[in-house]
Amino acid sequence: MIATRSIKEKTKVFINEIGDITYFAIRFFKELLTKPFEWKELVRQCYNIGNRSLLLVSVTGFILGLVFTLQSRPTLMEFGAESWMPSMVSISIIREIGPVIIALICAGRIGSSIGAELGSMRVTEQIDAMEVSGTNPFKYLVVTRILATTLMLPLLIIIGDAIALFGSAIIENLKGEVSYLLYFNKVFDALQFSDIIPATIKSFFFGFAIGLIGCYKGYNCSKGTVGVGEASNTAVVYSSMLLFIIDFIAVFITDIFFEI
Amino acid sequence: MKQTISQKIKVGTFVILGTIILVAALYFIGNKQHIFSKNIKVYSVFQNVNGLQLGNNVRYSGINIGTVSQIEMINNAQIVVQMLVEEKTGAFIKKDAIATIGSDGLVGSMVVNIIPGKKNLAVIISGDSIASYSKIGADDMLSTLNVTNENAALLTSDLLKITTKILDGEGVLGALITDSLLTKDIKETLYNLKQTTKGTDQAAVKLNKLLSKINFEDSAAGVLLNDTIAGNQVKKVFNNLEESSKSILEITKTLDEMVLEIKQKESTFNYLTKDEELPKIIDSTMLNIKEASEKLNENMEALKHNFFFKGYFKKQERLEKKEAKKNQNNEN
Repeated sequence: MIATRSIKEKTKVFINEIGDITYFAIRFFKELLTKPFEWKELVRQCYNIGNRSLLLVSVTGFILGLVFTLQSRPTLMEFGAESWMPSMVSISIIREIGPVIIALICAGRIGSSIGAELGSMRVTEQIDAMEVSGTNPFKYLVVTRILATTLMLPLLIIIGDAIALFGSAIIENLKGEVSYLLYFNKVFDALQFSDIIPATIKSFFFGFAIGLIGCYKGYNCSKGTVGVGEASNTAVVYSSMLLFIIDFIAVFITDIFFEI
Repeated sequence: MKQTISQKIKVGTFVILGTIILVAALYFIGNKQHIFSKNIKVYSVFQNVNGLQLGNNVRYSGINIGTVSQIEMINNAQIVVQMLVEEKTGAFIKKDAIATIGSDGLVGSMVVNIIPGKKNLAVIISGDSIASYSKIGADDMLSTLNVTNENAALLTSDLLKITTKILDGEGVLGALITDSLLTKDIKETLYNLKQTTKGTDQAAVKLNKLLSKINFEDSAAGVLLNDTIAGNQVKKVFNNLEESSKSILEITKTLDEMVLEIKQKESTFNYLTKDEELPKIIDSTMLNIKEASEKLNENMEALKHNFFFKGYFKKQERLEKKEAKKNQNNEN
């Protein structure tokens, strides 16, 4: 009986939260389309979210390409299909692994930082103070951050993918004695617009999801300093889950339009 | 403010870098698919496209020159494949070029291979259709392989029977492998054969020497071998011989018939040889003839001395003498 009530309560809370997030998203679009627009804050957020994540994304991408190639080589060598390595790695990374892994890394870094920053601002009543001073806190804090993640994540993913392919090319050059020219020739021979375009479009949604969840959790933070940690933590968990859901839907839609 | 400008520059750089990478990637992919080059449309009709898809490469002499842009089935045995081919490469494709569908390696994607034409015809233009050649598909190959495998299985089972028989010493081959005496005999035979060939070789050498000594120009053999007139004469001789043999054959046939007739009881010869009374009659007849001739001689002698016939006999003597004299003069 208690368990049933608990499930009911949790379901009710979950559905309520989904509704809240939806309203939060609608408000974002509404605020985005109304003046004034915080350009300076947007640039600052783009710098914080994009440039400051570049090193992490680069290292992640490089290691991803390196490890993926090293792990795939023995299997392909068993079939005598080492020449398929560039095609396999490029399609896998560009289509799926690159966007998802980099988005998850960014969810961990960006989502948590946004959640913690806005959460602490809410707890320390800075947001309330902004409202009192006549500044629209939602426009200044939320719109800029969500827009920055939406715009910056695709770029981070593109750069991360390129670095991953470069890492893969290094391994192929060292182990398989494949020249860089031949490697990238094979990469672009294997890749189609149907690989790169859906992945890029998908990454915009990933960025939006990370920004939206991070901002929602931070903006609606409560319970003091404990709430800040919780907001940060749940922002990462929720955004990671949402990333997989978006990815699943994106694969379905891509299959309809491009016939994978 | 300064921080904001530097941030702007950094963000700008970051955005430009990301955009350049994306644009470059899209450009290279598009370039591989010949999107940014001037293209011409080339058509080919196939009976079976073997899983060819839109975007598959089109190759001419092994070089990627375009992509498959449209596949349309017009009836149950005709599939029209539209290809976008680079205009600059299209200038080398002649109107008698042939399109075939193959695969890029053993497990690769399908490609359209354009085989250059042999005739010195004009080059293709946009909208042209080239001939196609449908190769055997993988399924057909597998079904053929299946038949081959079945045949191979039958062959191997038969071979197994044969080898078992051979090992058991059955048949000539079995005897050859298992019978030691036969092996010995064969070895001896081979040795003798070797000796024979040696002898033959020596004889051939001698014969060569002998032949080299023959004067082919002046000898009868030479004349026979070299002189065409002599050859013709020999031919005539052989022809005559052939005709003679035919005549002899006819004569022998006639003789056979005669002999048969002779052997018959009613024949004259049989009567002459086997009748006992006839020789007696002939004997008495011969005696009578002898007597008659003697009497006739006497009569003739009497006629020579007769007045009426004397002149005639003298005239005869004179003619004989004249004749003898003429012969003597001719001889001298």
